Amino acid sequence: MRSSLGSLRTAAIGVVVALVAAACQAQNAPPSSEASAAASVPAATSDAASSAPSASAAAQPSGLPQGGTLSIGWNGEIQWLDPALAYDVTSWPAERLMFEPLLAYDQGTTLVPLLADGMPTVSADGKTYTFKLHSGVNFVNEDGTVLRPMTADDVAYSINRVLNPKLKPNPSPVASGFFGNIVGAADVLSGKATTATGIKVVDPTTVEFTLEKADETFLNVMATPFASIVPKEAAGDDATAFSAKPMGTGPYLFKSYTKGQGATFVKNPSYWQPGLAPLDTIDYRTGQDDIGMLQQIQAGTLDLMGDPMPPAQFTDITTNPDLANQIVHHTLVNVDYVFMDTQQPNNGPFSNVKVRQAVNYAIDKDAILQITHGAGVPANCIYPPDLSSFDSSCNPYPHDVAKAKQLMQDAGFGSGFETKFYTDTTDPDPQIGASIQQDLAAIGIKTNIVSQEFATFLDTIETPHAAPIGWVGWFQDYPDPSDFIDPILSCASAVKGGANAALYCNKAIDTEAAAAKGEQDPAKRKAAYQDIQTKIMADAPWAPFRTQEWYTLIGKNVGGFEIHPVWQYDVRNLWKTLG
Amino acid sequence: MTAARLTATVETSGRSTPRAWGYLRRNPSFWIGFIGVVLIVGSAIFAPLIAPHDPNLQFRGEGLTKSGDPLGPTAKFPLGTDKLGRDELSRLLYGARTSLTVGIVANSLAVFIGVLVGTTAAYFRGRPAKLRAFGRGPALSVPVEPILMRTTDAFLAFPALLVAIALVAIVGPSLGLVIVVIAAILWTATCRIMYSTSLVVLASDFVLAATAIGVSDRRMIVRHLLPHLVPLIAVYATLGIATTVLFEATLSFLGVGVPAPAASWGGMIIEHVGYYRTDPRVVALPGLAIMATILAFNLLGDALADALDPRKWR
Repeated sequence: MRSSLGSLRTAAIGVVVALVAAACQAQNAPPSSEASAAASVPAATSDAASSAPSASAAAQPSGLPQGGTLSIGWNGEIQWLDPALAYDVTSWPAERLMFEPLLAYDQGTTLVPLLADGMPTVSADGKTYTFKLHSGVNFVNEDGTVLRPMTADDVAYSINRVLNPKLKPNPSPVASGFFGNIVGAADVLSGKATTATGIKVVDPTTVEFTLEKADETFLNVMATPFASIVPKEAAGDDATAFSAKPMGTGPYLFKSYTKGQGATFVKNPSYWQPGLAPLDTIDYRTGQDDIGMLQQIQAGTLDLMGDPMPPAQFTDITTNPDLANQIVHHTLVNVDYVFMDTQQPNNGPFSNVKVRQAVNYAIDKDAILQITHGAGVPANCIYPPDLSSFDSSCNPYPHDVAKAKQLMQDAGFGSGFETKFYTDTTDPDPQIGASIQQDLAAIGIKTNIVSQEFATFLDTIETPHAAPIGWVGWFQDYPDPSDFIDPILSCASAVKGGANAALYCNKAIDTEAAAAKGEQDPAKRKAAYQDIQTKIMADAPWAPFRTQEWYTLIGKNVGGFEIHPVWQYDVRNLWKTLG
Repeated sequence: MTAARLTATVETSGRSTPRAWGYLRRNPSFWIGFIGVVLIVGSAIFAPLIAPHDPNLQFRGEGLTKSGDPLGPTAKFPLGTDKLGRDELSRLLYGARTSLTVGIVANSLAVFIGVLVGTTAAYFRGRPAKLRAFGRGPALSVPVEPILMRTTDAFLAFPALLVAIALVAIVGPSLGLVIVVIAAILWTATCRIMYSTSLVVLASDFVLAATAIGVSDRRMIVRHLLPHLVPLIAVYATLGIATTVLFEATLSFLGVGVPAPAASWGGMIIEHVGYYRTDPRVVALPGLAIMATILAFNLLGDALADALDPRKWR
């Protein structure tokens, strides 16, 4: 899956924490992360108007203050307002205002139905998923009038559209990665067919998906924005045109977007869940400066910022007693790691497992956490704490410089060597590189840091052997351990354009991972993924060092804000209080 | 710069040294500039001896506050630390090395190119050079002056900073590249001045006399023209350093200067620009260093210019 890292290419420069996420695995969803949140959400009661809880089921519609304008600022620009293409931090929250998929998450990582009427039925072999559609869901025109009701044909059309290789200006980045497992998807991807045989409209309110191989992550995929349902007459094959006039079933309607200024979204008066679009207007400001946004939030002229708190302001803001109620933080489902080219040409030092293990022992994770103001927890292995397969006992390489030096000796590099170390330029990423540089110098590895602008950096690390060593972060696409193995540590991803920066390829691990992905028993699945983690860590393609904690400052009058473990920013659930 | 002043310089420069020194000696801004330059150059040269710490060493734990912010001045860190827990004073001292290396080398290169192109163009003004391939064959008439001066104009027309950023982005940042890029951009100003001054010198009677006795092109430029330009070159070589230091700081500030972790003043500012409200020290100190250096070189350069200008001696 040429996934999130690649997708970040389109993300605005500097948005490192890109995110992206989607879904899940209903059976063994991790306990929903304790959201730090300042603002409390009204107790959940199910919405009488819909038999199924909405994604934001926690909000009690009648109790929400209605009206007002919410403003949110972003460093980046909206790349696409077409769900088949958008894959970056700035576009996704905007898309989720207008578009809805069949499934969604509750406040944690548990899947719930959204446009589907209840969770789908799954066949015994785990290959066939049958979705009943919620009745009364409408596509809504720009002016707030109803275009027409959504049907099963629209669902089939929308998924086939993501697979469409003729989509202009380019096909969906996740077409084969996320949806390639549907029977007949390969024919659509190659242009031989326009509809996949595995997507079947049973009747106007029932749609059935058949997969090639049992895959527990399919439901997660069906909750990503890529699986949003769009109307055929508006969407078509030209994503640029649809992006300029997007239309869906969501609680807000698109009004306008000007690059460098922002977009405006207004309440959908015909939304199928009346009352769940509490705001009149959402003012989505793009191209904003971090420090400026912080000051505006303090001054009350901005409600939210979509980017992390600037490091230089961190202490100032987080220790200000006046702002104590406006600080929200949450540990992300992310892992930051030093990657090493496990297939370094000419028997380069990093092709030697002992050198890679030495690097693992050498890194002082506490020092990195200190320069990043303690915003995070040390990562010792692959899976972050919020993932179901997290193993707190996994810590094969505690900080031990003597051991690292010994391993360098054993590997025949007792006198050290010199190499380039790659990072991106977003503050404070090069500083983290500098901290690691000092750790590596202590065991004889002299590094020259090369900091590249984010898009260039991604190109470099996705080009085999271009970067012998460097550091990068991985953010979940959906809360499932497979998303931390398949796209970044599998043989298939160890290619040009793949996100496997370490070029780690272990056929035995690939086989185990394929089996684990289809395993339906949660306990066995967890054990299988933990076993995979242990084995990969023994090969040491990475030296994981941190799971980030996201800190942000929110406006005084924002209601319902929590950092969502999957979406991070779930703007569609917010409201404004008076005063 | 007026023609009168240039003519005066030409006429007297040969005997100017003792009188210039006499004038300089009594000029307080010369002494301020001179002492400043000596101090700055001295601290750059002796940085390894003066600096209390390794400029790139991150002091884990003790170099930062508990919450991970830079430390203010302490006994161990006289000017505090930066955001990675590195000693600020040591980085400033080593930053002087970076800035001055770039300043002096790049500026010397720029002045060299500028003088070469400017004098050659002036000399060949209005008469194409006769060139023969391999010293034989038919003479080829080359309009040297238009070619050189239009090239200079072309360089002047480029947005210097954009060119610099593009070059660094393509080749990748390094000290050497920064020097070359700065020299490639800043030579044009010197070139224009050398060109116009040379024209004045070349209009003198002694040049006519030299031409009359058949002095070669090369000898005419090197022996008869250049000596008259020496005072000007001295002035621009000094003033140019100030411009160059600032340009290097600008490049580093834009992230295309000398690569980390090497200390450079411009780089130190950009690394900490977010702290301007919370801890202005880490931004102000390298800024002051840049300012002091530019001021010192400017005072020295201005004093030299005044001293070498005969009109001031009355």
